[in-house]
Amino acid sequence: MKKIQKTLAMLLLVVLMISACGGAENEATVVEVPADIFKVAVVMPSAINDLAFSQSMYDALLAIQADTGADSFEIVYSEGMFIVDDAAAAIRDYASQGFDLVIAHGSQYGSSLQEIAPDFLETSFAWGTTVDTFGLPNIFAYEARAEEGGYVNGVMATMLSESAVIGVVGPIETGDAKLYVDGFAVGAAATDAGTEVNTNWIGSFSDVALASEAAQTHIGAGADVLTGTAQMVVGAIGAAEENGALWFGTQSSQSSLAPSIVVANQVYRWEVVLEDMIDLIHGGTYGGQSFEITLANGGLVIEFNGDYALPADVQSAADATIAGIIDGSISVFP
Amino acid sequence: MIEKFFTEAVLVGIIASGIRLATPYLYASIGETFGQRSGVLNLGVEGQMLLGAFAAFYVSLTTGNLWFGLLAAMLTGLIMGLGMAFVSINLQAVQGISGIGFYLFGLGLSDLLFQKLMGTVVTVSGFRPIYFPVLSDLPIVGQIFFNHNILVYGAYAMVFVAWFVLNKTTLGLKIKAVGESPEAADSLGVSVSKIRYLTISFGGMMSGIAGASLSIALLNVFQQNMTSGLGFIAVALVYFGGWRPIAVMGGALLFSMVNSLQLWVQVLNIPIPSDFAVMMPYVLTIIALVVTVQRVRPPSALTKPFERGH
Amino acid sequence: MSDSQLLPTGQKKINHLEMIEISKFFPGVIANNRVNFDVKAGEVHALLGENGAGKSTLMKVLYGLYPPEEGAIKLDGEQVVIGSPVDSIGLGIGMIHQHFMLVESLTVAENVALGLASTRGPLTDLDIVSQRIQELSEIYGLQVDPKALIWQLSVGQQQRVEIIKALYRGAALLILDEPTAVLTPQEVDEFFLTMRKMMDDGHALIFISHKLHEVLDISHRISVLRDGHMIGTIPVEGATKEKLAEMMVGREIGLKKERVSNEKSEKKLILKNISAQSDRGTPALKGIDLEVYSGEILGVAGVSGNGQKELAEVITGLRNVTSGQVVLEDEDVTGLSPKELINRSLSYIPEERMRDGMIKEFTVAENLILREYDQLPFANNGFLNLKNISTHSDEMIKSFNVKTPSQETTVKSLSGGNIQKLVLARELFRKPRTLIAAQPTRGLDIGAMEYVHLRLLEQREEGTATILISEDLDEILALSDRIAVIFEGEIMGIIDREEATTERLGLMMAGVVE
Repeated sequence: MKKIQKTLAMLLLVVLMISACGGAENEATVVEVPADIFKVAVVMPSAINDLAFSQSMYDALLAIQADTGADSFEIVYSEGMFIVDDAAAAIRDYASQGFDLVIAHGSQYGSSLQEIAPDFLETSFAWGTTVDTFGLPNIFAYEARAEEGGYVNGVMATMLSESAVIGVVGPIETGDAKLYVDGFAVGAAATDAGTEVNTNWIGSFSDVALASEAAQTHIGAGADVLTGTAQMVVGAIGAAEENGALWFGTQSSQSSLAPSIVVANQVYRWEVVLEDMIDLIHGGTYGGQSFEITLANGGLVIEFNGDYALPADVQSAADATIAGIIDGSISVFP
Repeated sequence: MIEKFFTEAVLVGIIASGIRLATPYLYASIGETFGQRSGVLNLGVEGQMLLGAFAAFYVSLTTGNLWFGLLAAMLTGLIMGLGMAFVSINLQAVQGISGIGFYLFGLGLSDLLFQKLMGTVVTVSGFRPIYFPVLSDLPIVGQIFFNHNILVYGAYAMVFVAWFVLNKTTLGLKIKAVGESPEAADSLGVSVSKIRYLTISFGGMMSGIAGASLSIALLNVFQQNMTSGLGFIAVALVYFGGWRPIAVMGGALLFSMVNSLQLWVQVLNIPIPSDFAVMMPYVLTIIALVVTVQRVRPPSALTKPFERGH
Repeated sequence: MSDSQLLPTGQKKINHLEMIEISKFFPGVIANNRVNFDVKAGEVHALLGENGAGKSTLMKVLYGLYPPEEGAIKLDGEQVVIGSPVDSIGLGIGMIHQHFMLVESLTVAENVALGLASTRGPLTDLDIVSQRIQELSEIYGLQVDPKALIWQLSVGQQQRVEIIKALYRGAALLILDEPTAVLTPQEVDEFFLTMRKMMDDGHALIFISHKLHEVLDISHRISVLRDGHMIGTIPVEGATKEKLAEMMVGREIGLKKERVSNEKSEKKLILKNISAQSDRGTPALKGIDLEVYSGEILGVAGVSGNGQKELAEVITGLRNVTSGQVVLEDEDVTGLSPKELINRSLSYIPEERMRDGMIKEFTVAENLILREYDQLPFANNGFLNLKNISTHSDEMIKSFNVKTPSQETTVKSLSGGNIQKLVLARELFRKPRTLIAAQPTRGLDIGAMEYVHLRLLEQREEGTATILISEDLDEILALSDRIAVIFEGEIMGIIDREEATTERLGLMMAGVVE
């Protein structure tokens, strides 16, 4: 009996381990291809389909692959790496497996990367969002000027708000989340100084329930237009939809989640800077430069939700704002 | 600054939102209370919740019936609970470790199934708030108490059911005895394993409902790791409440209301750094813990496997 | 004995229970080897034997906790199968365990009701249970409040609850496993009254005890087990302590020891107005004053849990005092660490030998050097000298007569008596000038007990100042020069051994000040 129990215990353990690994890291999508293939690995804090930060990078890589063909561009990813130590191990693994470019998609991975990169000078690393390459020759930095789209969204939100109260749900007051929220507030103030913009930082990138409750708090405080950034906002969008409040998205398109209330999204197109990096790598430069996506270089795009009937005056104000930011006549943070 | 708080909208908002936020904690911690009262610490609550949340969401999405979804969550939690019971009772595993194993299992499997079966975040139309004629329309009271969905009411009902079972029934007596002194219970012919199987699988089922309350009643979405540590807080709330259902409810409500209070603090632009605001529920809960419940002793046999003759 | 076939509780009597040719094996051990035992209604049948002789195993077989490998149990002539406590309870067999089987956080009534069907289906019926408890209390004079929580009750009261629990379940036969071990002499007297009452009413009682005078006092028949074999069953008439001890140990035992009288010389250890707290933070010692002279054994008598553990820990540096002073050899040592006290030639035989005295996963040799592991000759510059350690172990094993397969055996596989010999070897090898011995013979059999006593007396002759903390009054009376009685953290009085009697000490142990 004891023996049977032990065997069962082992079996159970194995099953547990297999499932745990299977889910958390997901299997890499490796395709057999010729030798001159460009190999990219990416480590991300949340899921590739989070409708936000991680998805923006994954979609960008898929876009490049669609251009160049799967034969010459291989993508491998590790998602859900919210534990930095696990991410660091994955980064090191990919580097030692000879990937051409290893992307550490999350500012929290910076210090790990700073330790790992000098050990693999033949590998190029990219991390963001940041402007800091640590002065290392094989680290690229990338950043989103999220405040630009934030400004545009802020202009539209202010024009659409009837109660003149707007709610913002953010994760932690740092990185591109802070840029977006600050830009949004500036855009709103430039449009109508009387509109109140309330911000709620919930202290978590994953607490969907608290994000939902934060949205309801905004609505309770009179907000009829909401926005927010990071992957936990799916909870906030649900609350907005239930209460008929409008929503502005960022990072990825969130229109599919609530087609009736999502007005527009600032979508990140990392492929714009990734292509530059890949060109440099082909030319023998493995890092040392920092990139940013902007409205001007096409890395940031305001995507309007076709299912939402945007009033013409708001649409034209948005277009004018975008043009103004691109040509420099509007400066978000003067 | 402070006077901003004492408006009807804010106070009603804080209380109503606290009542709602407490729901998943209540299901999970009441279930956990039974397990711990019988001497088994289940740290896998978070994993059971995640799988429950996914099962509820997916079944609701595909069948279009929320009750089937709820049932699926209960079954999923029950099966996870039976697994935990088998490992901790028959195999006498170290409970803290095996609980973490079940957490990782739930985290991984729910994500895997989510990726394979759904692929992207979508929404379902979840349980709607119940409309009580007259009552729901009352000012203040109506908004606070009569504007919630069925799973919110269910959570509070379960608190009183738990209290009743633990204090007024022979089953409750057996559960407490098994958790305090399994030897004594055994010597009187009470089956320690049977009682523990019962409480752990019941706890699993409750965790499943807790997950469902998130995915098909409060949030109506499913996302990877959507419980975000909530299951672990639920375990902590059991300690907070000193293993007594009513006090556990008090802890859950306190934690949730302070959490919704801190959301209001930020919305009302009261100049406290957001990092401090976010800490408030945790800090206040710890203070309350230190001040109020110093004397409560955990069940003596908690985390100790039972084997006859030792 | 009454002739009715019913007991006052309304239960049918068990006229004759027989255990026939019972064998029970554990891996490597024959716990019971074809043992015969029987008990009749209205009699007390005592079961004697050293630790490990197989008494508990035999009783656990009877109560359904262990299945026997061989043998049969007959109840009033009919063979019965007892597979679990449910079966034995159903047959009218009750057991009062040495370690009470009570749930401390529940009330008396809840403990009694536990596991029984309620008259109200799934709901508890504690009011009805309480009423029945009152009835039983009245029949047997076992006063207890059904609403009281177990942890609030004294040990004697808890034992009453255990008896009521068994009677409530209709026990006609009671197994009493060392019921007097935890009681004061007065409580023992009361307990014997209850036993006699039950006996007169027709209960069958099996009485397990170490204390020979109690066995001789209450029993009708006495059976002795040794190494799993039944040595014999004799009627109480004609039985003597010496005869019983010989049956238990298998050889003659000198129960009385010669004591040379020593002149009191210098004061070794002085406790001045010591107060300290228990682990729970409640006051455990309240102003203790004690003095111990060299060449003297000062006995500290008292029912366990009255501050003895804290007293020993305060002296040995394991517990902080809240006030007062410990003076060792004219030096104030209050608050010094155990290590510093060891260096001042203080030795300690702890009450919980398995927890505080030994590291059970370590070998005999390792445990023997736990105090001096970092000193010459056992270690030099941080390296262990394995040869010296090995030689030392062999010497100790030999001179302290430790029965162990080898010095590499882990301590957990040794018997209680041999473990205590190891503790003695380690502590006495250092020739201590002051010795604290806490419950040094608890749980030991007669042979080992005799050995410990001889060693303690030997130390006394060599001039060691000893504090002997014990619950066993016979031991206190046999060894001490003076006797202090501790009750609820206070010394109730200190008397010379010549003036001490069991009755006088018993009253003091119950808190009566002289």
